[in-house]
Amino acid sequence: MMLQVLLAISAVLFCFGLLAALTRSKAIMVLIGIELMLGAGNLNFIAFWKFSAHPELLTGVMFAIFSIALAAAEAAVGLAIIIQVHRRLRSVNINRADQLKG
Amino acid sequence: MHDLIQRFLSLPWGQPTDWLFLIPALLMLLAAAGAVMLRNLIHCALCLTLSFIALGILFIALGAEFVGFVQLLVYVGAVTMLILFAILLTPASEVAASNNPFRSFSFSKTLNAVGGGAVALLVLGGLLAAIFFSPHAREAVPPAQAAVAPAKAIGENLLTHTLLPLQGTAILLTAALIGAALLAKEEKPL
Repeated sequence: MMLQVLLAISAVLFCFGLLAALTRSKAIMVLIGIELMLGAGNLNFIAFWKFSAHPELLTGVMFAIFSIALAAAEAAVGLAIIIQVHRRLRSVNINRADQLKG
Repeated sequence: MHDLIQRFLSLPWGQPTDWLFLIPALLMLLAAAGAVMLRNLIHCALCLTLSFIALGILFIALGAEFVGFVQLLVYVGAVTMLILFAILLTPASEVAASNNPFRSFSFSKTLNAVGGGAVALLVLGGLLAAIFFSPHAREAVPPAQAAVAPAKAIGENLLTHTLLPLQGTAILLTAALIGAALLAKEEKPL
């Protein structure tokens, strides 16, 4: 029962992130939504690790650590892109960033 | 009705102390809701920080201390700082706001909100249905182990079984951070 409650909490967190990524027009809010979704994924890794048959193998923990490292890299590149978009367009509204040409 | 309550109580609920993790979990969900709904970007980023702190506490409560502290260090210490810096470096200019062609179309904005909300609700419904009503949900889950992930075991694991992914992550992080610095650099006019 506890595993299912944890998974449900993680599902709600994921959908908050999805909502932010889909509905907000500021680019930074999209990034915040992606971070929330990654956090929900990490929570799933830890929950399945805790209820696995062999937690001493640490599989879920290793997955969560690598996922956190990748999320940090993603955040750095994403924010650099946002700063560059703001420099070009004077706006962080993603509806305005609709050209591939610089 | 009485039968239903009996069945509900006979589910494997475990000890009341097993449910202490609900406190940081609920705090995390509240803060995440704030991060999604609030209008002011700074408030959103601060709510996100609170949500990450609660998530780290939740990891620690579930026995994954190392992941919890890494979460606190990386997300609370680094990622939210980056987000706050990005918010401060990209002030919303009034000119850009008035030039925005989507500002006048409130219909488009409403459609965006309704469509995004519908997609998020659909995904949530699908996930909850899969979690609680799928055939696998009735399979017996192994009982929660008094599992801990000691930092020593994680370090040994990192340098033996997952050495190749560790080196790959190191290269990726270096490349990503150099790339981010290059991307954000002021361009010199030619």
